[in-house]
Formats: sequence, structure tokens, C-alpha cells
Amino acid sequence: MKFSYNWLREMVDGLDTSASELERLMTIKTAECEGVEEVGAALADASEAIVVAMETMGASHNRKATVETPRYGQKTVVCGAPNCRVGMRTVYLPVGKKIIEGIESDGMLASAAELGIGRDHSGIVELHEPFKLIADHVIEVDNKSLTHRPDLWGHYGMAREVAAITGNKLVDPVRAELPSSDAPIKVTVEDFALCPRYSALVFENVTIQPSPLWLQYRLEAIGLNPISNIVDVTNFVMAELAQPMHAFDADKLHGGEIIVRTARNGEKFAALNGESYELDSSNLVIADKAGAVALAGVIGGAVSAISDSTTRIVLESACFNASSVRKTSSKIKLRTDASMRFEKSQDPANTIRGLKRALQLLQEVSPGIRVAGGVVDAYRPQPAPAPIALNLDWLDRKIGKAVPAVEVRKILESLEFRVEETGPREFRVHVPSWRATKDVTIKDDLAEEVGRMIGYGTITPTAPLAPARVPPANEERAFHHRVRETAASQGFSEIYNYSFISEDRARAFGFDPAELVQVANPIAADQNLLRPTLLAGVWKSIVDNTRNFDSFRLFEIGREIHKDREIPHFTAAIFAKDDGMAGLLELKRLADCLLRGIRVEPAAAQSYEHPQRAGDVYFGDTRIGRLFEFHPRMVESGRAAVLDLDLPLLQKSQPPVARYQALRRFPTSAFDITVVGEARATIGAVQSAIPRSSGILSIDFLREFELPDGRRSLSFRITAGASDRTLSSEEVGAIRASAIEALTRSGYESRS
Amino acid sequence: MQEIIEKLHQDALAQLAEAATLEAVEAVRVDALGRKGKLAEISKQFGRLAPEERARLGKLLNTAKQELESNIDSRIAALESAALDKRLESEWIDLTTPAPGIRPGSLHPVTQVQKELEELFRSMGFAVLDGPEVESEYYNFDALNIPGDHPARDMQDTFWLKDGRLLRTHTSPVQVRGLETLKPPLKMIAPGRVFRNEEVDASHEHTFYQLEGMMVDRDVSVAHLIYFMKTFLSAIFKRDVTVRLRPGFFPFVEPGFELDIQCLICGGKGCPVCKQSGWVELCPCGLVHPAVLRYGGADPEEWSGFAFGLGLTRLAMMRYGIDDIRLFTGGDLRFLKQF
Ligand SMILES: [Zn+2]
Repeated sequence: MKFSYNWLREMVDGLDTSASELERLMTIKTAECEGVEEVGAALADASEAIVVAMETMGASHNRKATVETPRYGQKTVVCGAPNCRVGMRTVYLPVGKKIIEGIESDGMLASAAELGIGRDHSGIVELHEPFKLIADHVIEVDNKSLTHRPDLWGHYGMAREVAAITGNKLVDPVRAELPSSDAPIKVTVEDFALCPRYSALVFENVTIQPSPLWLQYRLEAIGLNPISNIVDVTNFVMAELAQPMHAFDADKLHGGEIIVRTARNGEKFAALNGESYELDSSNLVIADKAGAVALAGVIGGAVSAISDSTTRIVLESACFNASSVRKTSSKIKLRTDASMRFEKSQDPANTIRGLKRALQLLQEVSPGIRVAGGVVDAYRPQPAPAPIALNLDWLDRKIGKAVPAVEVRKILESLEFRVEETGPREFRVHVPSWRATKDVTIKDDLAEEVGRMIGYGTITPTAPLAPARVPPANEERAFHHRVRETAASQGFSEIYNYSFISEDRARAFGFDPAELVQVANPIAADQNLLRPTLLAGVWKSIVDNTRNFDSFRLFEIGREIHKDREIPHFTAAIFAKDDGMAGLLELKRLADCLLRGIRVEPAAAQSYEHPQRAGDVYFGDTRIGRLFEFHPRMVESGRAAVLDLDLPLLQKSQPPVARYQALRRFPTSAFDITVVGEARATIGAVQSAIPRSSGILSIDFLREFELPDGRRSLSFRITAGASDRTLSSEEVGAIRASAIEALTRSGYESRS
Repeated sequence: MQEIIEKLHQDALAQLAEAATLEAVEAVRVDALGRKGKLAEISKQFGRLAPEERARLGKLLNTAKQELESNIDSRIAALESAALDKRLESEWIDLTTPAPGIRPGSLHPVTQVQKELEELFRSMGFAVLDGPEVESEYYNFDALNIPGDHPARDMQDTFWLKDGRLLRTHTSPVQVRGLETLKPPLKMIAPGRVFRNEEVDASHEHTFYQLEGMMVDRDVSVAHLIYFMKTFLSAIFKRDVTVRLRPGFFPFVEPGFELDIQCLICGGKGCPVCKQSGWVELCPCGLVHPAVLRYGGADPEEWSGFAFGLGLTRLAMMRYGIDDIRLFTGGDLRFLKQF
């Protein structure tokens, strides 16, 4: 929302605060301002001028004009404007002398665009009034910070704030009275919940013409496009009083009745903007006997729009339900200056003020205009908003500062709250109608009014007197941080990936899109699912980074999102241009660093996994993750090994707190055995084939050979011992014999 | 005989002085002191001597032996030391050789900022809570005093899910969850990933990180809020920070504020970073709205509190001077390895 400084000054008597200082004050006391811009700077040097003579310049479209200016005397200028004529009153700008087509031109005659007061540059400005325009400043306020303030969507609301801030007097621009005779039209509101108030005035003998320059300039300055006198007045009142208005061509309405009703399902509506909309019963319309003539609070209709031939108008000043307008506006994807205001819950009492102000202005911009009959005003009487009990001790405790009662009263009254003293340190506060629609309903809202006006900077920061307590621990988060630290210390770099994946990617990783959580309004069509695995993102990161690195390690901690729960996962990857074995074993070592005692059991590969390099990661009987290499089809430039662990399971699987065991007092014995198995006999299977009883302390893998016949020879060192004696050579021999026997039983051939 | 002993002694000392290897020293020792060595041979002849003479020469012989042994020991020590020096001399290593092996990796910049803040807030007695990324409309909006038709819903472009739930647009839902689980009095923070349905460019992301904070106790005031914000922002930025509150509208706080800090670049004089204003908008905050307390099961007549929302992604950008927010979720190790 843009605010004109000059406009505000008209309503704040004696305001002498500069625009930039006002911007600062508004920011810290009312709403966030986004900057101040000067408009109409050229007006400072401009002078009214009368064209006294004109000469053609050969074949040129330019003409030589002599003008008389009160400020600079007589001047000769070269002017190309087609509308320039002798006797015309226009505006002269002293921009310096220059030679145009051999003629010296001293200054120029200016178009509205050149003066910065409008967009028209088709010709020079024609004055019908004394020239009194001056430069202005426009203060732009962030719309988001006005979300809760229906009153600040008009200059008068902001002027009230400014007056309260500076201590100046607020001047109400509304002065006219409305005629009270019978209304020439009938208004029927079917549901006052959707339209709390509908007021209208009919005008006749209307002249449609451009607005006076001052009015065009006002609208232009705050970013509204001047159109014609009638429409400009409706926009002016909206920008001043926050009351949206609409003017219908009365002769294009059918029947003498306006009906405010919900649209019929499938009802067609042709809007002012040239678009056609199909409506349903959730949309509120203004209708005549023939059908919808306006979409309530959003936009007017094409058929009944003001045109150059309009002579009678119905001027609507209504209040529509905020959520109804918001729904309609978002449904048809059309936000207008009107809908933005109604969405904020406008004050029904404001409709009549809007009509009064419009009446004043129309008499000025449309000479000869007459009000036909009296005002029509359909509304359901609103209960007065409940007053708020405000205890001043409570207020002091809330703000953290003692604010004298007299100051509290002064602040509230300057914002037009009515304050009654009901007891010692007790106020009863009546909320003005324009703040009561949604904004101010509880005492906490009053604390804000007082706090912002005394200035939050006047409050002394104070440490709360709360007993010290040890906060409850978040074991899960602490565990995640430990996992991160471990991975980083082992050379892995942390990445973050998005939570969104595409259907194709989901399928590639073995998921049925129908089983996944789906985004109704995705940022892009291929980002419509929530990730049920971190693998898809990690895979993409691997592929992307192969462009810059020959080898790397990365990991991510993030949440898998399933329909019924979110599971934090740890996914690490190693990429290298080698045979891939080292990466897989490094990841296995990383898993062991995270949880001592994990093991990997080979398992059938998924389609994205290397068919011979995939396994489940176990701790005890619990499967806590997966270790695999990406299928070479997925990562073509090298080998990418991946470890994917379920973090809650990993955390739950932490070994119990260690218990001390007495140091071994007797020496142990060790012996090596070698077995031969099938080509894909695994080390793990051999180790688990040897019973762990009978004094065996550890079985360590030593080395392997591939025999000429393709079978695999595996050597192990077995360490045995007893806690109460040194084992005799007979006992060690027996252990060895039973180990070999167990291995033979399992189908391995023993070699010595 | 005395002369012979003295000569043998002198000869052995001379040979020892010339012995350049341990073997040569050993030869001298065997020759002079061995069981069949020259001094042993001499002592065999003592039997024929008078007892007084035998005692005198025996003493002389022992002295000679002792001196010789001592000289042999020091000769051996000298030779060993020389040999060690010589070996060590050959063991030069170029310590500027790059060390092999894996270097530590890196933690994501947001992780680092987040972890630091978690530790900071824990030290001030705040619990660290988590909330779900897939959130219900109730916790994300309704319980935060943002009913269905509230225009504030337009302030946050929401990713809606087909099952009616949504991706949380802020970490604020954890306020009500925290009230429910911890019960007042409480101090909590909730860092985490949030989502807004926005087009991505250098300064906008649909996925970013926030840190929610809340304290609920008896008679918590604006003065307390300012104190806490100033204290922990000074800790975050590691210098004394000047803060300023101004009105800001967020339905779940009342009064609501935007908190600005005095520009750390220009100290408030005005520069391009603060757009010449001297202030940089940092985070929204306010006193917890009574409706939110009620939704969380706390009686607003008994309890009050403050809440704030810090942008972790934004803090990381400020700390490391990162000018493109897309880098955070880009997974590019050229970027991530810098931290
Ligand atoms: Zn600055």
C-alpha cells in the first residue's frame, strides 16, 4: 500500500514531520515501511502558461509557440504536441535553451507524464483549474504488515496513526450529508452474513470526462491508474477511507432492484477486465433482474460498466464478508484493490462515510451532477463490540514497564478508543468500529496499542526471575549429531537434499507412487512426491559431483517420509574410479565405527543395486540398514558404494553399557587353520560355522587364495584360552580338532 | 715381572685406541683379558713368588685389568654411538611430504549454525524439541490462531498434501506441541526444516531451516523478551548486539514484533547491507497469544510467554557470506567442503 505524504498532511493538521522521518516513525510504531520515493519533482519549477501565438515550421510536425507565463515571462518554445493551440492553458517547464530544427526553444510545454503527475504523454497538459500541484513523497508500506488492520488500507486510517504518533490533530475529510428522501432503487440482501451492509446512491446528469489534474495526480502517485472522473472518485474514496466502491451505469441495470445473492451454479459472469467467469454458489454476486452485474467485493461487470455515454449512475458502497471475498478471489485467481481490502474485514459503518465523501467529490468533478432521491441502506444492525476490561497492573506486567494511567488513556484516546475508568487501575475500553471487526478483541491487543505508542525502545530489558532447571535431554538429536561427527571425521561431507521426488524416481527406487505421500500443489510436476528414501537424492548428488571430482565421500541425515511416519535415515556414499571393493569395505568400517558389532549379510539386489554387491546390515537379529554398490548403469563413470541406516534402529541397537571383565591372567594360544570352500564361500559363513564354545576367544580372518579350480581357500587365526589356567597342548589340539570337524561337517575342506 | 705387566697393559691400551670396530675391541679384550689372555698367563706365574711380592703384583695386575675393562667399555660405547649416529644420519625424512589417508569431511553450514544454537540455548535452560515435517492443518494453522479463512494464511504459501495434511510452513507448530508435552513453565527451542511453495531463486527457497523458541512462565513480559533476544543474539554474533522491536503482525503472538538488529557492518550509520537504514530485520517474535496458550492446554490468566522464530538458513548466509540460498540444498561438494 502506497501512502501520499501530501494526502496524509491534509488530514493531520500542522504536520511538519518530514516524509523520511515519518517513514521511520510509522515503521517503529505502526507498520513496516519499505521506502520513500519523491514524485512530481518537476512541479517545483513548473509554471502555468497560456499559449499566445503559434507558427508552423515548414513541413515539420513541430510548431513554434509563444507562451506567457506568470513566473518566467514570455517564452518561445518548439512544441510537437498535437493538442497545442492558441489560447490553451497549459504548463511550462524551464528546461534550458536548445536549437530544434533551426529554431531556439527556451524550455518546454509538458505532458502529464513529463510532469510526473500522470501517464498521458500523447499531448501537453490542458489546465481547467488554477495550477497548484506540488511535489509529493510516497511512502510504501509492506502489505503483509497491514494484514490485521482494515483501517490502514486507506489514508485516513494512517493519518489517524500519524496524528497519534506526532500529537497533531486529525482532520476528517468527510463533511457532506446525505439526502434522506426515498431511494429510487430497491436493494435486497439475501444473507447479511455475507453482506453485512449495502448502501448506494443514485446520481443523474452525470458527465463523463477526465478528472482534474489534482485528482489524477493523487491516484497516479499511489500507483492507481486514472480512468475517468466517476471511476477515479471511487478509487480516491477507496484509497482515502479504505471503502471500496463501485459505480454502475444505472441505465444498463435491469429493473429497479439490486439483489445481493449467491451465484447459481454455472452462472456466467462477464467482468470489467474482459474475462468471463463461471460461478458457483460459493460466490456472492450483485445482480439485477437479468443476472449478475458484479462479483461482490472483487470486480464489476462489463455490461453495466461506466462508459462515455453514461448519464446516470448507481454508486455502490458496501461491506462484504471477508472470508467469502477471499474464497472467491482465490478461486478465480483475481486479486483486486477491492478484494484485498474486504479480505481484511472492513467496517460496515464505513459505507455511509464513503458515500458522503464521494458526493462531495462528484460535485466537484462532474459539474451539474444531481443526487436522485435518498440513500438506500440495507443492513442488519450490528451489536456494539464488547468493551474490554483493562487492568493497568496487568498491563504493566505484560509490557514490563510502569506506564502511568494518564498516558495509557491518552494513547488509547488518540487512536479513538473510548476509555472509562471503572475502578482504581481499572479501565473499560470501547473499541472503535474500524478496529473491532477482527483486530482488537482482547486486552492483549490493547497492550500492543500502548506498547507501540510508548515505543518498545523505552522498555528496559529485564532478566526473568525464573528458577534454573536442567532442560530435558533430546537423546535422538544428540545421537544424530554424534553420527554426523563420526561421518565427518571419517572424511564424509554432509549434504542436504530436497524432500521432494518425482514419480519416475520413486519407481526407479522400487516404490509405487500410489503408496507415497503426494503433494497436491507441487512446485513442479516432477516434484510431487515426498521422499520415502534418501537414496534418490544421494544418487543425484553422487552423479552431479562426479563432474567435479574423481573420488569423494558424502552423507545426508534426513527424514524418509512415509504415509504413517517419518524415519530419520543416515545415508553415506563413497565414489571412486576403482574396482569398488574399498568403498564398500570403508562404509562397512564406518558402520562399525557407529555401532560396534554390526555385520553384513549378502542379500538379493534391488534393480538399482549391483547384482553381486548388496547386503543387509544387521545388529543382532535386527536389520538396521543396507550396504550396496549402485548398479553401474546408474553411475557410469565409476563405482559408488552406499550405506543406508535407519537411525532410530541404529540408536536403539547401541550395545549396553560395558561391564568390566577381569584382565586375563593366563596366556592364550593361537593356531591357524585354512579351509577350502566353493568359489563364493563367504568368510562370514566360515566364521559362523565354528561353534563359539570350548575356549575359542576369537576367529580372525587372515587371507584368501583362489585355487586353480576356482574354489576359495580361506585362512583364519583362532585364539583360545581359559580364565583359570593355561590350556594344555592337548586341550588346544582338541579345540582345533573340533573346529575342523565342525567346518568339515559344514562342507568345507580343511587344509593344514 | 712388573715391567711385563705394565708393558702388556700399555700395549693393550694402544691396541684399543686403534680398534675401529667392535670386533677389533673384542679381539683386544680376548687377547688381554680372556681366560687364556696375556694377563691371565702372567698370573699363572705368580705361584713362584714370595707372598708379599705376589700380593703387590696381584694388586697391580687387578688395577691394570680394571682400567683396561673400563677403557674397553667406553670404547664400545663410543663405537656404538658413532654407529647409531651414522644409521640415523641415513634416516632423513622429508616432513613436508603430504600425509596420506582420508581427511575429515565437513558438516553442512546450517548444521553447524544449528548445533551451535542448540548448545547455546541448552546452556540457558531451553529444551530442544522436534516436530514432524508433515504436519496437520491444526498444528500448523488453527492452533496458532490462524483459522481457515484468515488472510494470514496467504502470507505463507503452503504445500498441501493430497491426504489433507501439509508440509509445515514454519517451526511454530512445535509451540503447541511443546506446551502439550512439556507443560508450563517451560523453555524450548525447535530447529528444523520448513517448506514454502515459492519459486526458487538466489534469495528464495521452498525448503529452508528455522529455529522456533518459546518461554512460558508466570508474568513473562516484553521486557523479558527483549532481554533474551539481546542476550542470545549477542552470543550468536559474538559481540554486543543492539536490538529494536517494532510492530509486526503474526496471529500467534500478541503483541507481535519484528526484531531488527543494528547493522553489524556499518554499526548503524547506514550502508548497502542495511539499505542505509542502519537496521537489519532479523526475526519475528512476540508474546504468545492467549489463544495459542489455550490450544496448548495452558490457562492464559495463569501463564504467559514469549516466542520467536529465527531463520537458520538466513543466519548461515550471514555468518559465511553466502549470497545464493540454492547452494544449501544443491549437494555440490565444491561448496560444502568449504565448511
Ligand atoms: Zn549497514
